[in-house]
Amino acid sequence: MDLLKGGRFLVVSPFNREQFAKGIDAKPGMGTDPSLVVYDDLGGGVGDVIGYEEGAEAAQPFEVSPPIDAINAALVDEMFYNPWKG
Amino acid sequence: MLLARVEGNIVATRKHPSFDAWRLVICQPIGGNGQPEGAPVIAIDSHGAGMHQQVVISSDGKAARKAVGVDKSPVRWLVTGIVDEHEPGKRI
Repeated sequence: MDLLKGGRFLVVSPFNREQFAKGIDAKPGMGTDPSLVVYDDLGGGVGDVIGYEEGAEAAQPFEVSPPIDAINAALVDEMFYNPWKG
Repeated sequence: MLLARVEGNIVATRKHPSFDAWRLVICQPIGGNGQPEGAPVIAIDSHGAGMHQQVVISSDGKAARKAVGVDKSPVRWLVTGIVDEHEPGKRI
């Protein structure tokens, strides 16, 4: 499909609370939520942490709406996470 | 819209151009009792929400696109407000 040329599809596992707490340098592992396929034109690789968008917004960057459900919007370089403990 | 607590932020160099200059905060949706509900989401923030502050986030992509001013942006979550107090009950 011409629309999606230059990009690729990544299989990603969404972060849950525990994985946020471990940080982005932790060994890559699977979360508890189901994995999904994300269209990527930024160049994400295996083990990278990305920020993706799911739903109608995933098709927004294109002139013509492509058949994708999720898109990579950011390659995460640094993450600061400090869960609230009540 | 969801009630959420700010629990951190992320830094990304390679990102959709529409996110340039926007603060990306990690927001943990919470219930009325202040306990986490579901997985955290990343939202753009123009209010300068502080760590562990309660915020209201919106998943309205159209409103978020208007906020960033780029019609072709994939942005969805947006911090729409910072919570000052709860009624009824104390701040949790």
